[in-house]
Amino acid sequence: MKWLELLSVAGATLVAAVTVVVLYALGVRLTAIAGDAQQPSPKLKRSLAYSCFGLCGVAVLFGLYLIIPYFSKP
Amino acid sequence: MVALVIALALFFDFTNGFHDTANAMATPIATGAIKPKTAVTLAAILNLVGAFLSTEVAKTVSGGIIREGSDAVPITPDIIFAGLMGAILWNMITWLKGLPSSSSHALFGGLIGAAIAGIGFSSVNVETLLQKVILPAIFAPVIAGIVAYLCTKLAYALTARHDPETGDKLTQKRGGFRTGQIFTSSLVALAHGTNDAQKTMGIITLVLIAAGTQAPGSGPQVWVIGACAAAIALGTYAGGWRIIRTMGSGLTEVKPAQGFAAEASTASAILASSHLGFALSTTHVASGSVIGSGMGRKGTTVRWNMVGKIALGWLFTLPAAGIVGALTALLVKTGVVGVVIAAVAGTAAVLFMFVYSSKSAVGHHNAVEVEEAGQAVRFGKKKALARARAQANPEKDNQR
Repeated sequence: MKWLELLSVAGATLVAAVTVVVLYALGVRLTAIAGDAQQPSPKLKRSLAYSCFGLCGVAVLFGLYLIIPYFSKP
Repeated sequence: MVALVIALALFFDFTNGFHDTANAMATPIATGAIKPKTAVTLAAILNLVGAFLSTEVAKTVSGGIIREGSDAVPITPDIIFAGLMGAILWNMITWLKGLPSSSSHALFGGLIGAAIAGIGFSSVNVETLLQKVILPAIFAPVIAGIVAYLCTKLAYALTARHDPETGDKLTQKRGGFRTGQIFTSSLVALAHGTNDAQKTMGIITLVLIAAGTQAPGSGPQVWVIGACAAAIALGTYAGGWRIIRTMGSGLTEVKPAQGFAAEASTASAILASSHLGFALSTTHVASGSVIGSGMGRKGTTVRWNMVGKIALGWLFTLPAAGIVGALTALLVKTGVVGVVIAAVAGTAAVLFMFVYSSKSAVGHHNAVEVEEAGQAVRFGKKKALARARAQANPEKDNQR
C-alpha cells in the first residue's frame, strides 16, 4: 500500500490550502481595517493588505510550478 | 474499431465536462462573484490548460489497472469499447436521474466489468486498483473535508472583528472573499483538467497500445492530449448553460468566505493527487470540501441523511457501470453483429436521454451533484430562524 503517498497528498493539501486561505484572510482583514474611519495609518495597512494578496498569488504560482513537469525537468 | 473507440472516449470526455462544470463554477456563480457566461468560458479555458499540465493520471489509467503488455492477457479494443459503453450509459442515466455520481468511477467500473466479462478475473490488477482508485476515493473527500473545515475556521477567525472596548461585533467586511473566489474556482477548473481529462487520455492510449500502434507503458501522445483537452473544454462550455439556469437554490447560502475555503481545499487536494497519479473523483472532493466548510462555520448544520444519500450513490457507481460494461462485453464477444447491436443500442439510448432531458423542465439533473452537497449543509440564518420560531409559537416567546 502506498500510505506514504496518501499521507503526502494529505499534507500537501493541508499546507497549500491553509497557506492560501490564511494569506488571503489576512489581506481581507487588513483591507477592512484600512477602511475604518479612525485609522492612524490607512495607507500602511492597505499596502500590507495588498502585499498579503500578492504573497497569496505567489504561493499559488509556486505550487503550480512544483506540479508542472515541464519545469521540474533539468 | 479503434476509431470508434476513440470517438466514444472523446464523447465520454465531453459528458464528463458538462457533468462537472458545477464543481468548479457553481459557488462563484451562486455568490455572484462572476457572471455565468464569463465563468463557463473561464472554466472551459482552464480545463483546456489543465489537461496539458500533467499526465500522471493518464499513465495510471493506461498503465496500471488492467494488465497489458507481454506478461499479461491481451486486452482488445473490444473490451475498452464495452467499458466505455458502460461508463457513458451510467453517466447519462445518473445525469438524467439527478443521481450524484462520479464520472471517473463510472469509467473504472465499466472497464473493470468489461475486462472481467470478456477475459476473466485475472485481467484486473487488483493491487493497483486498490492503491490508485479505491483508497483515494475514500480518503480524498475526507482529507478535503477536514482541510476545508480547518480553513473555514481560520478564515472566520482571522476576519472576525470585535470592538476592543465593548466587545461588540463590528462590520465584518468579508466582501474580499468574493473576489478571491474568482481565483480559487479557476484553480478548481484547472485541477479538474489535470485529473479528469487525463482519464480519457489514458483510455485512448490504452486503445492505441491494445491495437499495437503504440509501445506498452508509454505515455499519451500529443494529439491525444490535444483532442481530450478540447473535448473536455467543449463539454464544460456546453454543460454550463443548463446548470446555470438551474443553480441558485442549493448553493446560494454558501458565504463567500466558506466558498473560498472550500475551493482552496478542493483545488489543492486534486492538484496534489493528480501530481502523484491518483485518479480521484473531482465530484467527491468538491462535495467533501463543501460539507467540511459547512461544518466549519457557526450556525450551520449538516444534513447527514443527505450526505448518506450521496455516499450511497457513490457506492453504486462502480458496480452499476461494471454491470453495463460486462453486458456490453458479452454482446461484443459474439462478433461483428454484437458490436453493431451494442453501438446502435448505446447511441439510441444516449439520444433518447438527450431528447428526454430537453423535454423535461429545465434540468434539475445537471446541477444536482454539487447542489445536493450544498443542500446537505444547511446554513442557519439565525434571524430568519428566530423569526420563524417566533411565528410558530408566539405564546412561548411571550411567556419568556
